[in-house]
Amino acid sequence: MGLLDLLRKMKSGNDKELRILLLGLDNAGKTTILKSLASEDISHITPTQGFNIKSVQSPGFKLNVWDIGGQRRIRPYWKNYFENTDLLIYVIDSADQKRFEETSLELTELLEEDKLMGAPLLVFANKQDLLSAAPADEVAKGLGLDAIRDRKWQIQACSALTNEGVKEGLDWIAKTCKKK
Amino acid sequence: MPSKAEDIMKGFKLNWMNLRDADSGRILWQSSDDLSSPDKDHEARVPKKILKCKTVSREINFSSKEQMDKFRLEQKVYFKGKILEEWYFEFGFVIPDSTNTWQSVIEAAPESQMMPANVLK
Repeated sequence: MGLLDLLRKMKSGNDKELRILLLGLDNAGKTTILKSLASEDISHITPTQGFNIKSVQSPGFKLNVWDIGGQRRIRPYWKNYFENTDLLIYVIDSADQKRFEETSLELTELLEEDKLMGAPLLVFANKQDLLSAAPADEVAKGLGLDAIRDRKWQIQACSALTNEGVKEGLDWIAKTCKKK
Repeated sequence: MPSKAEDIMKGFKLNWMNLRDADSGRILWQSSDDLSSPDKDHEARVPKKILKCKTVSREINFSSKEQMDKFRLEQKVYFKGKILEEWYFEFGFVIPDSTNTWQSVIEAAPESQMMPANVLK
């Protein structure tokens, strides 16, 4: 970086970079949420075997969303992506009640990570379009979100398929990150 | 374990690349040539109408057999032998046996700052 660049940065004073980490079990709908945010076709999404990053740049502001695959084989690598995370989004398949315990365990472990300390948490209770989906308050209870004291958190019911609730989640992110 | 450069090269593949109109999400151009094979010029023809888009997204999909710890992508745009634009993106860690995508959305500069398309001949 040249001095000129540095000067420009100091001048604008708000050269912000926001890093959002998108995690959850496999088949929770992380990639679908990411793609539906950009009004892209979501009919051919396959299990993520690594990461999907979306970066948006506009003058003085950079946003990077990291969606990391949720398969068992990949989960041990999540920790390589914790650093500098400003906000964590955790996605739940609200209709997959059989794996509530597993997803709850993964989330608990994430919340204990030093590198994610204090990072606000948004939980998407996804797949609300399915009849068998548990409502958001039930998911929150199952995850024990009420016990979280060390960070801001929010649970948002959504359907990545119909796009319902996704925008509300984003609004919370915008509000929360502005206050920081 | 960090892998050797030549192993990384051997196990690295660029699967596809596309350009979208980021407002509609529609694909304007795509290619599945392996652009990562070096010692070779790769040519891409992109439709002119992309210059009319307010925001464009570029998506790159790649696979790596080997683990990488500090992967970064550099882009240099040359025009008549001079660097016009230069930037990089830091991926950091790449999972062994992984397939990854990176999409970046770029807003067009105000029209007054754009290079007219006919200069590029």
